Amino acid sequence: MSRREGSPEDPQADSSVSPLTHLEAKIRQTQSLARLLSKYAEQLLQEYVQHQGDPFGLPGFSPPRLPVAGLNAPAPGHADLPVPERLRLDALALEALPPLLDVVRRLQAELNPRAGRLLRRLEDAARQARALGAALEAVLGALGAEPRGGPRPEPAAVAASAASAAAGVFAAKVLGLRVCGLYREWAGRAEADLGALGPGGPA
Amino acid sequence: MPAGRPRPAAPGPPAPPAPLLGLLLLCALGAPPGSRAHTAIISPQDPTLLVGSSLQVTCSVLGEAPGTPAEGLYWTLNGRRLPADLSRLLNGSTLALVLSNLNGSQQQSGDNLVCHAPDGSILAGSCLYVGLPPEKPFNISCWSRNMRDLTCHWSPGTRGETFLPTNYSLKYKLRWYGQDNTCQEYHAAGPHSCHIPRDLALFTPYEIWVEATNRLGSARSDVLTLDILDVVTTDPPPDVHVSRVGGLEDQLSVRWVSPPALKDFLFQAKYQIRYRVEDSVDWKVVDDVSNQTSCRLAGLKPGTVYFVQVRCNPFGIYGSKRAGIWSEWSHPTAASTPRSERAGAGGGCEARGAEAGAGPVRRELKQFLGWLKKHAYCSNLSLRLYDQWRAWMQKASKGRQQHRARAACPRAEGARRELQPHIWDPVYPLSRAPPDEPQLAEKPRSLGALLLAGPSR
Repeated sequence: MSRREGSPEDPQADSSVSPLTHLEAKIRQTQSLARLLSKYAEQLLQEYVQHQGDPFGLPGFSPPRLPVAGLNAPAPGHADLPVPERLRLDALALEALPPLLDVVRRLQAELNPRAGRLLRRLEDAARQARALGAALEAVLGALGAEPRGGPRPEPAAVAASAASAAAGVFAAKVLGLRVCGLYREWAGRAEADLGALGPGGPA
Repeated sequence: MPAGRPRPAAPGPPAPPAPLLGLLLLCALGAPPGSRAHTAIISPQDPTLLVGSSLQVTCSVLGEAPGTPAEGLYWTLNGRRLPADLSRLLNGSTLALVLSNLNGSQQQSGDNLVCHAPDGSILAGSCLYVGLPPEKPFNISCWSRNMRDLTCHWSPGTRGETFLPTNYSLKYKLRWYGQDNTCQEYHAAGPHSCHIPRDLALFTPYEIWVEATNRLGSARSDVLTLDILDVVTTDPPPDVHVSRVGGLEDQLSVRWVSPPALKDFLFQAKYQIRYRVEDSVDWKVVDDVSNQTSCRLAGLKPGTVYFVQVRCNPFGIYGSKRAGIWSEWSHPTAASTPRSERAGAGGGCEARGAEAGAGPVRRELKQFLGWLKKHAYCSNLSLRLYDQWRAWMQKASKGRQQHRARAACPRAEGARRELQPHIWDPVYPLSRAPPDEPQLAEKPRSLGALLLAGPSR
């Protein structure tokens, strides 16, 4: 085999490595990130319920799964949508999560000021959600799909969430539980949707 | 302090008006629109109460519902269902609950009181804060590391737990001028401590106090006045070396360096040494080391590993009249005494060239040497010579074994003959020194005999 020409930092210059391989690598990398963040989201939820007190940590506890202003849970028909559409919704949701996680962190800083690890996890979760959302948009861009199909989450949604929490401490605890649960759901959803982009997928 | 709702932090935009708040509350805890279920509201929301007090709280079903919607509702507190006899219907849509003699809250974020529908679903919740006001903090103590910072810790109060999140704030100011400052770095040296890292003045007193605040009240400690120079501590002495003293089986030499951060100010510093046998937990402390940076431990057991540590007190720094604060102990340094058949007793530190410190034999020898200096011509006698003699005795004892092996060597044979009577014959005069004997300033007549024929041990 002849020696390669060109800069090693520019693989595109080498015609033997196709763009598809790079896209696949990007997809696998993003899927690994989503898998990791799903685990972190689960840990965050466990830590969160511990600090709210019973019944939040009890097995039978189930407050109403009501929508948080500005962010819904994955719809029942989500898995039936085309993969790029699923990824688009995943990216939108992950983009909406960081401000809500910030609100929850501020509320918890008042309710549980000594829960340093919980507060750090909430701060990390906001950054992680932002990173995963950006990675999904990069994948969508590489697929040639429209990265964003809807309006950005309104700042009023964040204010509304904070206001509902201001209605009482119990409501604030439930809000935080809901937001942490949504983060776990959407991180898991992103991992599954990226997995659907297997070899021979719509790339 | 009246009970009230907490004030969770909210982002920049102002809260929506009340009707929207009500709608959002319904959205947060109520049923999805279009369902037949109803929501409720608990009053009071998030009350704060003293331990031992009583509370009446109501759960009112919202919306228009036929019949008696409050019938069948029940309460849980921290996940545990409350007895039905604590509740009663006030009217068709309101269930009341009376809690008496409340205990302190089980978690910082408040006890969760929840109103449930008959099917167990959650209609509304409220968080109870039951606790005690803070006690006056006391027992403030502070120290400055190398005059660069100040760390203080305090006790929260004799009663202990308040059951409520209690905020402690350490305040300080220069005594005669300046504004109040608040310490920022908490928990630096334990849960009730704070660290002031910089911008501290010397030669002028500070006033320091602690303020404690929670939902039920506040308390302030007494004011502590101090000068930074009176509470100085420093780092442990570095470079602690422990070594044998020649062949002496019951001594070790300890050397160290002054803590470098204050080395230019430690001319009045004190040091302490502690040491223990390897497999013991009992330390022996030597605290008459003054401001030397070396010391000799005596009276140790032969053939034994010892751990040694040193610490420093920066006494008298910048002319302070107060005792400083002892540093931490240095890292343990280990060394072993040479092996011997003779066992040593415990003892203290023996500074170089100093008088004997321990043991009846050495005490009597000291007295004898003092007498000799006065009444005999051997004015240069000292315990140093005695130590040299002991080291020579040990060498000679080993040499005796070697000389026996080299029996063919006339010089060795002669030396052996010299050594044997010298060691075993108490009256053998030291008129002719064996080849290995250290040079003495003067060789007193029958000194060896006198030493060997000393008092019985």
